[in-house]
Amino acid sequence: MGIAFCVSPFYITCPSEAVGGLAIQYRSLSLPVWTHKKSLTTMAAQVTEADQMKQFREFLGTYNRLTENCFMDCVKDFTTREVKPEETSCSESCLQKYLKMTQRISMRFQEYHIQQNEALAAKAGLLGQPR
Amino acid sequence: MDPMKAQQLAAELEVEMMADMYNRMTNACHRKCVPPHYKEAELSKGEAVCLDRCVAKYLDLHERLGRKLTELSVQDEEMMRKAATGTA
Repeated sequence: MGIAFCVSPFYITCPSEAVGGLAIQYRSLSLPVWTHKKSLTTMAAQVTEADQMKQFREFLGTYNRLTENCFMDCVKDFTTREVKPEETSCSESCLQKYLKMTQRISMRFQEYHIQQNEALAAKAGLLGQPR
Repeated sequence: MDPMKAQQLAAELEVEMMADMYNRMTNACHRKCVPPHYKEAELSKGEAVCLDRCVAKYLDLHERLGRKLTELSVQDEEMMRKAATGTA
């Protein structure tokens, strides 16, 4: 299996091979505007190894949170070791829903920041105009 | 600390803070808007709309509280300064 997982909303590109070689092409999210501040200081256009590491770490965090979340919500029966089919289908739905939810949230979050930046730019533009 | 470094540090801290806020917001809106039934894999219209509103409200609140907090800490500082000069 060799496909790259990008779930984080904080990075422009999804590397085609994630560090450690994990895998599911899930190109979903793009960079929120405010993180440009950091990339401006580094002035780097390409994804560095540190960025990849960060992204992968982010992915692992999401993976963990998602597992915990879906476990808490879907697995209720502890009279058996086996995972029941209802629990399996519930957790699959849970996964899909969680990812869609994070996509939507990320989209709105970015929109908000774009708006904020535009407002700031407009204000700065107004102030900068000669009388 | 020279101003360049201070600015860079501030920017880094802001990025970190934003990332933390984002995670907390995701968690909060998930708890508020998506009931843990998972009968289907799609987000319902109600859930989607709820998420939009949740994000807007969370960000608004975050900003408000930030401003209030700054106000309070400035007031605090003023009081401490007065107390210090008072006892001096």
